[in-house]
Amino acid sequence: MTTNTNDELAQIFEGWSSTVGKPTLKDNARMTTRGVDVFYGEKQAIFGVDLDIGKNEVLAMIGPSGCGKSTFLRTLNRMNDTIDICRVKGDIHLDGDNIYDKKMDVVNLRARVGMVFQKPNPFPKSIYDNVAYGPRIHGLVTRKAELDEIVETALQKASIWNEVKDRLDQPATGLSGGQQQRLCIARTIAVSPEVILMDEPCSALDPIATARIEELIAELSENFTIAIVTHSMQQAARVSSRTAYFHLGRLVEVGATDKIFTAPEHRLTEDYITGRFG
Amino acid sequence: MTSSSLFLLLIIIVAAVFVLGRKRSVDVAQSVGGIRYLHSLPNYYGLLAAAWAAIPGVILLALWSAFQDVIIQNSVFSLLPESYQALSGSRLDLVWAEIYNLQKGIITEASDPAFYPAVEALNNLMTTSTTGRTVLVIALTVLGGVWGWRLIKPEQRARNQFEKVVEALLLASSMIAILTTVGIVFSVVFESIRFFHKVPFTEFVFGIKWSPQIAINAEVAGSSGAFGAIPLFVGTLMIAGIALLVAVPVGLMTAVYLVEYASSRVRSIIKPLLEVLAGIPTVVYGFFAALTMAPKLKGFFEGIGVNGVSSESALAAGLVMGIMIIPFVSSLADDVINAVPRSLRDGSYGLGATKSETVKQVIFPAALPGIVSGVLLAASRAIGETMIVVMAAGLAANLTANPLEAVTTVTVQIATLLVGDQEFDSAKTLAAFALGLMLFFVTLMLNVIALAVVKRFREQYD
Repeated sequence: MTTNTNDELAQIFEGWSSTVGKPTLKDNARMTTRGVDVFYGEKQAIFGVDLDIGKNEVLAMIGPSGCGKSTFLRTLNRMNDTIDICRVKGDIHLDGDNIYDKKMDVVNLRARVGMVFQKPNPFPKSIYDNVAYGPRIHGLVTRKAELDEIVETALQKASIWNEVKDRLDQPATGLSGGQQQRLCIARTIAVSPEVILMDEPCSALDPIATARIEELIAELSENFTIAIVTHSMQQAARVSSRTAYFHLGRLVEVGATDKIFTAPEHRLTEDYITGRFG
Repeated sequence: MTSSSLFLLLIIIVAAVFVLGRKRSVDVAQSVGGIRYLHSLPNYYGLLAAAWAAIPGVILLALWSAFQDVIIQNSVFSLLPESYQALSGSRLDLVWAEIYNLQKGIITEASDPAFYPAVEALNNLMTTSTTGRTVLVIALTVLGGVWGWRLIKPEQRARNQFEKVVEALLLASSMIAILTTVGIVFSVVFESIRFFHKVPFTEFVFGIKWSPQIAINAEVAGSSGAFGAIPLFVGTLMIAGIALLVAVPVGLMTAVYLVEYASSRVRSIIKPLLEVLAGIPTVVYGFFAALTMAPKLKGFFEGIGVNGVSSESALAAGLVMGIMIIPFVSSLADDVINAVPRSLRDGSYGLGATKSETVKQVIFPAALPGIVSGVLLAASRAIGETMIVVMAAGLAANLTANPLEAVTTVTVQIATLLVGDQEFDSAKTLAAFALGLMLFFVTLMLNVIALAVVKRFREQYD
């Protein structure tokens, strides 16, 4: 089989039944999603996704551009709420709490599910204030010394402390792109989230900065649950334990990373990882 | 030939040179194998030749028009008897006006027969000048055109050279605004110096009494007038301050609401309505302030037991002026808040910040330079506003800190000083220029301070 046209793909999805592999986990699931549909106005972007994210695992989501992987990621901490025309259906639970429940406070949710974005987006403030931003707005500390400690720990966990410890009061925008992205990771972990969502965190970085972020992801997985969207299959293979393949808004296949990259079951997954399209 | 027909002729010549130059470039291209072997496209050769024709002619025309009056006037005056040549500037102007009118035939009889030779000379000079101008300008234009036309060769770098011409034109345009400003400043400065010969600088700057009425003859009491500008500046600052107290918070909050909170439907209704507010003429605001706001305020304050409320008050003028500049502040702030990158908002929301935390801690600091410059524009608008104050705050130069009293402002005084028949060398009229100079200086200082503030607190996000 050669490259698929969209019509052929539509035919493939005509008789769509379910995802190949094991999208759900018996126990050990931190976040669960069931039958998630996402709409932008009239247009449906995500079709009935069931997917679990296990405790302390790194789940990679891959797929061609426009397959909905970033959209899906942004439903997990309700970042899509900031887009007027976006609607989400289905159930998403975090540790048993329905995050789209009326009683769920989105401020609280985003403190539990942090997010790192595609382009490093440090605030135009000092390095210290960037990391202290989250703890301050959530009132996590009462004394300056505690805040200092949180900032230092977060910067150390993001393995950027040694580079910035002497210039914490300088503007964060003066850092290099890779340092900015690690600072953004430090900013996220400063509020001690349970889950960290990463939306192509290395796509704006050079290879060396990328390698450092990947190392960092491996270290962070000891304490955090991480879901990462990536364009790079190599990156998914290097950092993740489980991989989910999305195509045209559907979750096509999910499984252990080794298995997905060596013996994919679905034809579309195979075509993608062997580079026939994407 | 009149100026306008000469100008029309110039345009025709230049257009002809363009067509001929373009044609010549196509012709010379034949010898080297076609247009593709020319350095530039044929249009550039035509444009460059046209520039050669137009620029020298236009410059000559401009210089001639600028200096012909002065030169003619001087040579005419040299024919007058000694007694006239010793006259002061304004008297000499009168003599010149009479000679000019005699030459035009507007008056027929001269007050002094000595003027007739001068009129005769003026007549001759003007004829010579007009003819000379026409001939020289046309000759120069044609010569320039021929020169530019002859220069056309396939290897001529016409495109690059014409770019230089365009650059020079753009520079000249930007100079017009700058030179005009310089000219205004100088004229104000020179008139002010004349004023400070009559009234000491220290009295003007530190004096606390403003009463510029100068009696017609010296016997009338209070003939000297008083030119202390402090009451005017206090009044200006009070009214502008009240206006900004209204406009800045309301305008900023409007902008934040429109950008961060309002749905696109609400936004599409409110924005045009705000723009209507900006389109109301200030005179209308003025009578709203005078006829509605001031009596209501008077009634309100008398109702709560405050006595001595003036029916024309700084408060009424300031409040209405504040409402007038709300759209200013809000639309400028709206633009800069919109310009804050979405990624910064996402970063803040992603950490669990609420909308108001995001606005206060991320968006405002990032948008600060733009907001400050918007507020400054609003401030200069408030300081320069005249109509509302004339109608609602009165003309009495009271030195007071009480916003319920009548005050007056610098711009209002400038307007009243220059309205009507005035002698242009009395201290009263010249005071207007001194006030203008001070006002210019104050707004300049405001700008400098604000720039320094912005530089100090600026937070870069690019």
